[in-house]
Order: sequence, then C-alpha cells, then structure tokens
Amino acid sequence: MSSRPKVVPLRPPPGPESDPRATAAQETARRDGLLVAIARALEAGRHGLTWENVAALWRAAYFSWHSEEVDEFGRDAKFTETIRPLFEFLYTVWWRVEPAGVENVPAEGAALVVANHSGVLPWDGVMITLAVRHEHPARRECRMLALDMFALLPFLAPALARTGAVRASQENGERLLRAGELVGVFPEGVKGVGKRYRDRYKLARFGRGGFVRLALRTSAPIVPCAVVGAEEIHPVLAKADWVGRPFGLPYFPITPSFPLLGPLGAVPLPAKWSIDFADPIPTATHGPEGAEDPILVNRLSEQVRSIIQRMIDGRLARRRSVWFG
Amino acid sequence: MGRIALTGTASFLGARLLRRLAETTGAARLLVVDVAPPPDALDVRHRAVDLTEPAADQRLLDVFREEQVEAVLHFAFYTGPRRDATHVHELESIGTLAVLAAAAAAGVGRVVMRSFTAVYGARGQNPAFLTEDRPLQPDPALGWARDKLEAEQHAASFSRRYPDLKIAVLRFAPLLGPRVHTFYTRILDRRVVPVLMGYDPLVQMLHPDDALAAAEAAVDRPAAGAFNIVPSRPIPLLTALHLAGKIPVPVPHPIAYPAAELMWSAGVGEAPGRFCDYVRFPCVADGERARRELGFAPRHASRDALLAYLEYRHPPARLARAEAPA
Repeated sequence: MSSRPKVVPLRPPPGPESDPRATAAQETARRDGLLVAIARALEAGRHGLTWENVAALWRAAYFSWHSEEVDEFGRDAKFTETIRPLFEFLYTVWWRVEPAGVENVPAEGAALVVANHSGVLPWDGVMITLAVRHEHPARRECRMLALDMFALLPFLAPALARTGAVRASQENGERLLRAGELVGVFPEGVKGVGKRYRDRYKLARFGRGGFVRLALRTSAPIVPCAVVGAEEIHPVLAKADWVGRPFGLPYFPITPSFPLLGPLGAVPLPAKWSIDFADPIPTATHGPEGAEDPILVNRLSEQVRSIIQRMIDGRLARRRSVWFG
Repeated sequence: MGRIALTGTASFLGARLLRRLAETTGAARLLVVDVAPPPDALDVRHRAVDLTEPAADQRLLDVFREEQVEAVLHFAFYTGPRRDATHVHELESIGTLAVLAAAAAAGVGRVVMRSFTAVYGARGQNPAFLTEDRPLQPDPALGWARDKLEAEQHAASFSRRYPDLKIAVLRFAPLLGPRVHTFYTRILDRRVVPVLMGYDPLVQMLHPDDALAAAEAAVDRPAAGAFNIVPSRPIPLLTALHLAGKIPVPVPHPIAYPAAELMWSAGVGEAPGRFCDYVRFPCVADGERARRELGFAPRHASRDALLAYLEYRHPPARLARAEAPA
C-alpha cells in the first residue's frame, strides 16, 4: 500500500492568491507531462473543482506543450518539439522524403530557398524545413514564408507561426534575411499550391519577382529547390471556388477524399517525395540597387524558374511510381 | 531657459511624467496646462485651460507666451474607449489642433505628443513589425482610433508647415504594469477571458517604466517624427493569458464582433466590437527608430510587463504573511 505514489491534492490552501501555486503546477506539468496534468485534473475533481485549480490546471496543460517565450516572429520551440514526431513520421515513413543536394544550402548567413508550391496544404514547407534540419551538417532552421491564405486562416495561422513560419511579405522576409536567417519561399503562391491535378508539375508564374528583389536587396544567395511528390498528396480533381469564397478561401479543392470523407479528406496520400536543392545563385554581385532593375529581376526569376522546372522534369523522368519512387 | 508645459497630467503616463520631470529638471521649469490642478505636493505652476473649449488655441497661445514655454508635452489622450464620443473628439482631435497651433504661433520649439501603436490598425496584412513609415490604417468605424489618427495627421501637417517646430509623436504600445488600470486590465482581471476562436496574435505590452524612459528621452533630444515605443519582445495572446492563469474561452469571430458591440451598447462591455481586431490580427510595432534616434532601448519584454502587472495585482507579500507561522 505504501508503495503507491502519493497523490498531491490540488485543493488550494486557504487564503493566498493563485499565482505561486500556478507556477508550482506548471513546474509539475513541465516535469510530468500532459498525461499527469490530466490525471491531476481528475484528482482535483474529487476534491471539488474550484476556479483556481481549473485555471492552474488549464495553464499547466497549456504550458506542457507550449513554451512561455517565443521568438519575435512567434516561433515556439516547445510546440515545435511537441509536434515534431508527427512531422518526422510524415517525413520518414509516410512520404519517405529523399533529399538531394542539401549541402547546397549555405551553412551560415542569409539565404533564400525558392521552391515550387503544391499539395493544397503547406506540407511542402514543413518537409523542406525538416530536410534542411535533418540532412544539412549545420542543422539549419529554415523559416518558411507562408501565403496570406494560410497565415490568416483561423487555427492554421497560429500553428504555423508557432512552428516558425512567417507571413510572406517583403518586410518580413527582409527582416529575417538581414538577421542572417535561412528563409524559404514559394513564389508561385496560391496559383501553385491550389493547382489542379492535371496541371501538376507545370510551374505557375513566379509572382512579380518579389523573391528576387528580396534576395538582391539583402545580397542573399538564392537556392532553387524542387519538391516532387507533393502534387499527388491531395490530387485536386476540380475546384469549387464559390464554396470557399464566403469563408475567405481563395479556392476550394475537390479531391478523391475531400469533401466526400469529411475530415478524413485532410489525410494526405502517401506519395513518395523527393526534395532537390540546386547550386546557390549568388546575388551579391548585382548589388542592392539591382532590385530596382525590372529586367534583371525578371531574368533572375526566370533563371530560377527554369532550374526548378529542369530539376522537376529530371525527377519525373526517373520516377517509375508515384508511390514508390 | 523656458518652461516645459505638460497637458494631460491627470492621465497615468502624464502624471508619472510630471512627477519624474519634477525630480530631474526641477518643478520650477514645469507648467501644468490642464483642467485639473497637479498634486499640491509637487508645487508645480498650473494654468487651467480646457482644450475642448472653442477658444482654447488663443488661451494656450497667451499661456505659452506669458510663461515663456519652450517645449510642450501633449499627453491629453484617453487610453480606453469612451461613450461620450463628442467630448473625446473635441479633446483629442480638435484639442491637439489647438495645442499645435498655439505652439507654432508662440514659437515653441519642441512638441512631444502621445500616440498609440493601435493607430496602425490591426490587420492580417500587417508585417510582423510595423515601422513608422507604414500608413496609419485603423478601422474607420472605430471612433477611438479615428480621433487619435486625426491628432497624428494634425501633427504631420504642422511638421510640414512649420519646420522649426520639432514634433515627436510617440506611439506607445499598450501599457501594462504596476498601477495600470485600463479597459484591457479590467478584462484581464477576470477569471474567464473571451478570445477569438482560432486566432492567437502576437501582442505587445509596454512596462510603464520603459514608457517613461522613452518620454524622457524624447524631451531631451530634438528628434522629430513618429517613434514606436515598444517592448523588446512581443508575446502570443494565449501565452499571456495562460501565464496570467486565466481561462480563455474561444468565441467564433462572427459571433464575437456583434456580441461585443451589443454589450458595449448596452453599457456592460469594456470596448466596442471593432476592438476584436486587436485580439485577432497582429499590430506589433518595431522600436528600431526610437533606439537609433532617441537612444531609447526598452528594458522589459512584454512578458516582464505582464508579470509586473500580475505581481502588482497579486502581491507576493500577502502570501509570505499567510505562510508565516501564526
């Protein structure tokens, strides 16, 4: 009997305010994790649920998987750690991502990874981040610039920010690059991520060259990156944009499983992925004033686009199966 | 040496600035231009001027000339939303116009004006850090921000027309810390705090000590233009609420806006529905310019400001007493 671990009652001692107790509960949660926090909540129920211990438990549960401090763009190290197993499962088991040329990503200093966008949901960004962190000797953290439609979507937006994504804008990109960060960007934007299955691997227009101007202004080298496999995870057969528009979505995809299977439709198909990084294109030689030269900007933009298209075409030519590579 | 005139000395920041300046530059150099007299203990000269009266600019001009005012610190703004919209408009927009007109006519060289980072407007399209050159786009239907915006526009137009008048506009992030009582601290004092479902923007909370240091720096330096006065680091709203031990209750935003508006109209809400924007979208400003040109570097992050406020609301001294043996 005595070997049974002593249950710490959560009923508060009379008198004082909740703050130090909350800190104690939080300490406990940090040590014991979420399950114990829940167990304590049930235990507290036996002693009578008061506002104080509900708030303390709520808080303990929250901080068992969120950190108390985030970086200036809202990246939460603990939250990222918490959901990393899911991402790693997708990376290694579900999509069996095969990265190549990760060493082309500079080991330090600002650099801009430019990739094709596909797959309805921004999974390609997550996988690029993982590829760089896992395979690159410097274990760099790639900050992805997220489209407005993702960065403004309820639920998805805070989760993206906590995992280190930043809303795509010139100001945000410039701030990150000037701080010497590795930044990832999808110049195709909505046109890429929401394209139909029959248009797969045909790169859409690369915006208006904003990413080139960003790189020129900060003298950051551009690393072209080709993602193959993401087009097949949510094959968009048709688009019913009129359904999405009242909810602020620029498109509403119809895939074999969505909206037919409801939430199950959000489960991506297990295609085999590859992520290729090409040699970096230096931009420092043009100087920051090159950003004001539309001809140069467009030339660089087209150069990056054709490199990515070439890498994609090469992969597709070698690929024998969508599911097994 | 001329005097330094202060308006809005009954406001939280104005009162603290008055007290600080009385210590550093001496009460003899200060002049309170306000409806309410300053505390007797300070022994500061006081001239009663109501900024909302129609001839306020003439009154101010006389006062500035008679007292040989060389700098005006204009802090007569309301932090929280109020239901007497006409009065607020007269005080903040028209009152600022009067202060600036009198300052320009009296040859005052320096104006430091209080403003708010909320004047940028909370928008999804906002960059992670708003710089001072960003256009001010608050929700036009939000009267609270509109009056502040107009005051800023008056300041900008006077800066253009009177190059000798060095106007510094200090856009303070929301204050939070010991002795701060505003509409959002009243919300924060509740056990259960409504939040918008699926949204968790970064917010900034400025420690009053930092706000005061910035205002002092702006008095000392002749730098002109707008300056964001912000803490060193923002904090996600939900993290802040959980740190404070609150129970956040998510409300879908299509319901939250009208519900908040309805409660405000009924007299039980703390703020109009449009304020929901500020807990939905980011409105985070960049303090680099103040660091560069005013030499102001915040000593507290948003988290520190929050913890300082919580400590003030729930003093640990009470705990120590409760735990001591009887």
